[in-house]
Amino acid sequence: MDREYDLKGMDAKIREIHRTAEEIRELGQGIEAVRRNVDRILASVKMIELNVCDVVEVL
Amino acid sequence: MVNSSIYWNQVIETLPREKLRELQLRKFKRIMEWAYKNSPFYRNLYRAAGIEPGDIRTLDDIRRVPKIDKGMLRDVQSRAPFPYGDILAVPLSEVTEFRQTSGTTGTPVYQADTWQDWEWWAECWAYILYAQGYRETDRLFLPFGYNIFVAFWACHYGAEKVGCEVVPGGVLDTEARIMKMKELRCTAFGATPTYVLGMADTAHRIGIDPKGIGIQRITCAGEPGASIPTTKQRIEEAWGAKVYDHIGATEIGAWSYSCVFQRGLHVNEAFFLVEIEDTETGEIIEEPGRNGKMVITAFDRIGKPCIRFDSKDVIRWADYSCECGRTFRIIDGGVVGRADDITKVKGVLLAPTAIEEVVRSFDELSDEYEVIVTKKGDIDDIALKIEIKPGMEDRKESILVRLKDELRVKTNLGYKIEVCPAGSLPRYEVKAKRFKDMRKH
Repeated sequence: MDREYDLKGMDAKIREIHRTAEEIRELGQGIEAVRRNVDRILASVKMIELNVCDVVEVL
Repeated sequence: MVNSSIYWNQVIETLPREKLRELQLRKFKRIMEWAYKNSPFYRNLYRAAGIEPGDIRTLDDIRRVPKIDKGMLRDVQSRAPFPYGDILAVPLSEVTEFRQTSGTTGTPVYQADTWQDWEWWAECWAYILYAQGYRETDRLFLPFGYNIFVAFWACHYGAEKVGCEVVPGGVLDTEARIMKMKELRCTAFGATPTYVLGMADTAHRIGIDPKGIGIQRITCAGEPGASIPTTKQRIEEAWGAKVYDHIGATEIGAWSYSCVFQRGLHVNEAFFLVEIEDTETGEIIEEPGRNGKMVITAFDRIGKPCIRFDSKDVIRWADYSCECGRTFRIIDGGVVGRADDITKVKGVLLAPTAIEEVVRSFDELSDEYEVIVTKKGDIDDIALKIEIKPGMEDRKESILVRLKDELRVKTNLGYKIEVCPAGSLPRYEVKAKRFKDMRKH
């Protein structure tokens, strides 16, 4: 790699986003627009997890 | 600003091999645990084999995990609950996408995906497109049916993710597609190799030089052509563009791709585990250059997991590396055949791709051909139908002599060659069916 990345820092922030999204879903219980859009956010967050968090575990 | 990196994710794509293998083991265990816990089909399969996710401690242990195949996928969907049987690892209410296989080899297999799976499909395609040089400056035209077949659907969303402007070219005929590509000055498009060549023919017929449209790159899928050097060369010459290959499947995902250096196909090993098995002994093949059938696992597909799927695709590891620096292993020559396609004719093993390689090496022949295998009594017979390009008919005798010789050298078989009028053989928009083994009927 020709550049070093703060993967652990990214990992922590991604987990924070994940937690925050779940908290929003909890707060918005009963509001379908919140639930469905949080689901979509979490699907996108999962892609960053695959790209960053999974790798951090083996480094 | 356009990113100058050649990687979609440099961290993953240049991960040291031992780290990559560790990542694969972790991810295999994770998807197996997921399937065991949530999919009755997989749980029953593993219980019957006496294996649990906890038994997987090394990559070698994975070989003990039962494989699945298309026949099993067909069986399971014929059982309750409708329409996928008990294979799903999520509640049916979480399924947001339906696609099905083309049914080339039998009853179509239904594929269920969650929204997360659909994001994952697009992510797999983002790896492919970025490696092939697609950027936000590209205007990508996708001339396919936008229907129940997965085809270029995920490419569409992967390209959006990369930042390309995507022009959906469904429900237009070939002429209209070419006109639209020209009008919008598209820089790229994606289709099967057969259709890419057919589009070039059509363009000439309506007085448009494909090279003048401004296409810089073409991504092929669905057929092995873009990894067959003579076919790839034909396409590149016809369009004046670079041609890249990708391999994927409805039940699996988009698992490999050529990059801008065009040296074989990189397997996205962070997202998939590819094992190559000897078709006779079942032994796992690690050395380069030896053909075997692919058994593949998609690590991150959760709705209808794909774990140790015996794809019947015949592939081989490459004995070369690529200048791009990716640490993913490379397969050489794409899918060189199917375990159920590689057949004995007159006692000789024949891969239909070998015939394509020869036919497409003849400038005097059109892009279309057809191979028909029949049996008369106990004796196999193989016929090849070809078209000679208009204006080259006077070279017929010389072409036939050279073609027979080349075929004999490359396939060890003698063919009855029939010259058909130019334009008379079937043209295909999706997967071509040029090899017809009538002995099986």
